[in-house]
Amino acid sequence: MIVTRKALSRRTVLRGLGTAIALPLLDAMVPALTAVQKTAAAPVRRLGVVYHPNGVIYENWLPKGTGRDFTLSPVLEPLEPFRNQLIVVTNLSSHQAEALGDGGGDHSRASGSYLTGVHIKKSDSVVGNGMSMDQIAARALERATQLSSLQLTADDNSLVGACDVGYSCAYSSTLSWLTPTLPLMAENNPRVVFERLFGASETTDPRARASRLRRDRNILDSVNARVRELQQSLGPSDTRKMSDYLESLRDVERRIQKAEEQSTKEIPDVHKPAGVPDGFQPHVELLYDLQLLAYQSDLTRVITFMYGREQTGRPYPQIGIPEPHHPLTHHQNDAEKMRKCTVIQTYHVRLFASYLEKLRATPDGDGNLLDNLVLLYGGGISNSDRHTHGPLPTLLLGGGAGTLRGGRHLVYPQDTPLTNLQLTLLDKMGVPTERLGDSTGQFTELADLG
Amino acid sequence: MTRVRRTALFAHPPGGLAACAGLAWLAAVSTGASSAVRAQAPAVPPTPVASLVTTYCVSCHNDRAKVGGFSLAAADAAQVERSAEAWEKVVVKLRSRSMPPAGMRRPDNNTYDAVSQWLEQELDRAALARPNPGRPANLHRLNRGEYANAIRDLLGIDVDAAALLPPDTQAYGFDTNADALSIEPALLDRYLTAAATIARIAVGDPSVAPAVERYTAVQGNANEQTWLWQTERLSEDFPLGSRGGIAARHYFPVDGEYDLRVRLARTYADVIRGLQAPSDIDVRVDGVRVGKFTVGGAKAPAESQDADEPLHVRVPVKAGSRQIVATIVKTDGARPEGLGPDRIPIWNRDGDVPTFPLGISSLLVTGPYNGRVPAESPSRQRIFECDGRGDATECATRILAILARRAYRRPATAADAQTLMEFFAGARAGGSFDDGIRAALERLLVSPDFLFRIESDPRNVAPGAAYRISDVELASRLSYFLWSSGPDDELLDLAVAGQLRQPGVLDQQVRRLLVHPRARAALVNNFFGQWLQTRNVWLLTPDANTRFPWFDDNLRAAFVRETDLFLDDQLKADRSIADLLSADYTFLNQQLAGHYGIRGVYGSHFRRVTLADENRWGLLGKASVLAVTSYPTRTSPTIRGKWLLDNILAAPVPPPPPDVNTTLEESKAGKPESVREMLERHRTNPTCASCHARMDPLGFSLENFDAIGQWRTVDGESAINPTGVLLDGTTVNGPAALRRALMAQKEQFVRTVTAKLLTYALGRDMEYFDAPAIRGIVRAAAADDYRWSAAILAIVKSPPFQMRRARS
Repeated sequence: MIVTRKALSRRTVLRGLGTAIALPLLDAMVPALTAVQKTAAAPVRRLGVVYHPNGVIYENWLPKGTGRDFTLSPVLEPLEPFRNQLIVVTNLSSHQAEALGDGGGDHSRASGSYLTGVHIKKSDSVVGNGMSMDQIAARALERATQLSSLQLTADDNSLVGACDVGYSCAYSSTLSWLTPTLPLMAENNPRVVFERLFGASETTDPRARASRLRRDRNILDSVNARVRELQQSLGPSDTRKMSDYLESLRDVERRIQKAEEQSTKEIPDVHKPAGVPDGFQPHVELLYDLQLLAYQSDLTRVITFMYGREQTGRPYPQIGIPEPHHPLTHHQNDAEKMRKCTVIQTYHVRLFASYLEKLRATPDGDGNLLDNLVLLYGGGISNSDRHTHGPLPTLLLGGGAGTLRGGRHLVYPQDTPLTNLQLTLLDKMGVPTERLGDSTGQFTELADLG
Repeated sequence: MTRVRRTALFAHPPGGLAACAGLAWLAAVSTGASSAVRAQAPAVPPTPVASLVTTYCVSCHNDRAKVGGFSLAAADAAQVERSAEAWEKVVVKLRSRSMPPAGMRRPDNNTYDAVSQWLEQELDRAALARPNPGRPANLHRLNRGEYANAIRDLLGIDVDAAALLPPDTQAYGFDTNADALSIEPALLDRYLTAAATIARIAVGDPSVAPAVERYTAVQGNANEQTWLWQTERLSEDFPLGSRGGIAARHYFPVDGEYDLRVRLARTYADVIRGLQAPSDIDVRVDGVRVGKFTVGGAKAPAESQDADEPLHVRVPVKAGSRQIVATIVKTDGARPEGLGPDRIPIWNRDGDVPTFPLGISSLLVTGPYNGRVPAESPSRQRIFECDGRGDATECATRILAILARRAYRRPATAADAQTLMEFFAGARAGGSFDDGIRAALERLLVSPDFLFRIESDPRNVAPGAAYRISDVELASRLSYFLWSSGPDDELLDLAVAGQLRQPGVLDQQVRRLLVHPRARAALVNNFFGQWLQTRNVWLLTPDANTRFPWFDDNLRAAFVRETDLFLDDQLKADRSIADLLSADYTFLNQQLAGHYGIRGVYGSHFRRVTLADENRWGLLGKASVLAVTSYPTRTSPTIRGKWLLDNILAAPVPPPPPDVNTTLEESKAGKPESVREMLERHRTNPTCASCHARMDPLGFSLENFDAIGQWRTVDGESAINPTGVLLDGTTVNGPAALRRALMAQKEQFVRTVTAKLLTYALGRDMEYFDAPAIRGIVRAAAADDYRWSAAILAIVKSPPFQMRRARS
């Protein structure tokens, strides 16, 4: 399966790993992974969400024309090669991200409610949201995989200071909410992502791995008993923290059980990357590579990824923009600032397109990974200058295992809830769901998507 | 009463009426909320606060107008403790002189002081009779730093917590906030992995797989591109005659061989520069040279992408914590010590700086190979009380009981022992004694009793009642406050014996903990680093392209080092808290001294320097503080003003209202404008003005410091006008004048610091009912000139620290 090597640009990974020690990893990994894929019978449904912060210059984003007859905008131009598997969906909005009496904090609300459709609780410590769409999918799809989902970010996650006026950093740092009070932290360090995917990899000897898993399970059983005991003795207060704890135990136990069931599955001999690689672009490329790996080796079927947290001030000197991103996006219609915002958005799309290229080059079932994926690409802010939450820039990519028909620009009535699209996607993925946040129903044009 | 109301009506200035949309007549329905009480005792004269409120407040803060969402209509001005929440807000406004707004009619200073004093007395008296100590969470998870400290204290090993665990979120300014320290699947997963790794290292398992640890020349640097100019000896950790490099403490888990690899700094285009002349690279472990390499030279290409490929050496090292150093041997041609670069090679000038000197960017330690169980290692010494060669069960029981007690910060119960012994027995059955201990240790490190500080209500306490926490709980509060770690044996022994609150004991323990270097390290890194946001210096991105091309990582590191040394010295010398603002000395090296325009400081090492220019005194003259409150390209009087209000003056401003544009419009006229001019235009919008009128004028007084803290007299083409205005309308001219004005009300500053310390220590936000305790602490500390020890002792003895409110 030479294809895998092509798909996973060796140079990129190695550079990303930052150390020479990573050299043997791909050679060792490839046969194992292909072995897994050969056994896959039916196409597997998978979900990916890619989020870009700080809104867009909508007029530079919006394609010209509708239906099948549309021309890609400058920002979306890099997606031309994937036009057949691209659906542009316009006029959706995220009403729950509006202030609704809560004052400032549009950035936090934009990402906070992006996959939940819930008006988040204004608090910088005790958070409140809804279960997110990716987690609903994860619950249904996790039966087959070791990890129910992955959350990744290319942003620094050690920021000090409040993230937004009165809102917890959790709202702007992740899209995924396992429960209304339990945000799933997004990981930025490839080394840690590797560990989650492939274990701490002290050894790849199957017997040693099995004994490791057994030991982990024993520890968790014992800890579980102790947590329940504590719950009894501490009484009903702090129930949130207790239930989060038990929820976490359940999730990790499930992962271990799954890993034990799949212990015959050969796990690639992976060396851990040393850390976050050089610069934004290699970092993003490596995180995309890891997503591909995770799908390809079927360790998870649900991933959310953020280019950065809302309000990020990342400068992009490598593309000629040394100014921080967020202040630029409040461009006040200054042509030069708008041009720079457009360049950044195009850059994001270009990086996404090279990920798509790799997905398409990776066989999966009868087709390739892109054929079977549902990818939602977008953000919770439309006009960055004014913090509007509609019409949101929203793209679908991938074939959804035969459920999505690309090559179209679908225009919905203005202010259609974004959650309606997400509800529809859940349905397409075989996870029929009655409601999601402020959803008012599935697209009646459901067939349109397929 | 009727008379009072009338007075209120007539006393109101017309300006005030207009400012509150002519709703002054509503004053009639305000102050005397508990009319029932007064009706019974009509002879009681109105309290000082009643007159003040009627005269100055209610025309805006009544139920109808409710300016700022705040009404005093229902506040009881006779028995103020009945409306403590409202009155505490009033105290804040009066003490900081932020209400009534400048420009409206305001009381004189005596009235301000007299009324706030009266209010405080009344509120404090009520609080003394019925303290409300608040209720920190039952379960308080250790944050990442505390976890690493706990591992260090429990097992004697240094772990890189950032590699093992995810970062923690902050709330109310600190990552010690119990509500924000949540637990989720990914985190639990990482605790499991970390426990396995740590347990292996701790017992010295020779089969531990080789792992890579990466140390960087610039803290937290993710790549091999640094802006660290390596032409000089960086610190005392480096050998004489060296330039640049990395010095790190590394924990070697077992006796064995380790690969030490040096990576060279690269430009943005991933090119190693500075190879035209040969450079010798020196690698040492605990001062002993273990490797020497030469790179570059006449025959080598001037630039390369892999010149550092051969720079590694495999050396035998004994288990334990050791200092590793990789550095470059300095040659005669190198620049003199201490001079920063005139301009540094950054991405878009990649091509035009061929003379960029060779630098080291990271040091990778990989191993162990051919590991052996160490005969002696710090962790084995700490763990193995006995070696299990006699009665193995008896020995394991002893070892695990000691570990559990230290890890759980309380006496181990029979159930704790039984659980751990089960893990010991299970692993020992198929392996060795060490395997058994390792398995039990793994279990212990994932236990909620270790990962969480647990406080529980005693059985016999009435719901909602305030009670004293146990000595054992108090010991943990104390050690986490001062050490960011669990209690040591001495403190825990006293607590278990119930002696911690005996006369003199608590004082003695606080002082003992405080003089330990561990306390200063913890407070400087964790408390000050977050309060002053100096941790953000590592994330600064000053515009090195056009504005500050000489801003390099040496200067960045110097900003942090100066502040850390200064704070450490303040604590060590037990200075007055107010000294943070007024100290006339700091710590500088040549580069930072140059940055500040101070002559006569040579070399790269930091030394104490007395500051002749009083503009530089105290925190407000520190580049770290000035830079983290600026934008990459310019200063922000607004951010600086807000910083002063939040952190010095105890008068925080509300966040901007929704849907306002918070960015500054640049001049369309084509004429370059000063920041002051831009902000003045911004304030012509009344919505913006309501808060900016407080923030900006304060921040303007620091305008003589640019966005990276250099002194300046012009901004663009305009001369700097450092005139600022305080909340009470007083004008100050420049940083020194600002500082003098702040020192004149230093009690406000001490209050702020106290509230921040309590927030940090308790892991919860400050509530209105904490205000009496804060005032009590400030009063107690005042008796000893606000010395750190006095303030910290008073905090430890305060009701919120000593007590807890039972679940209601």
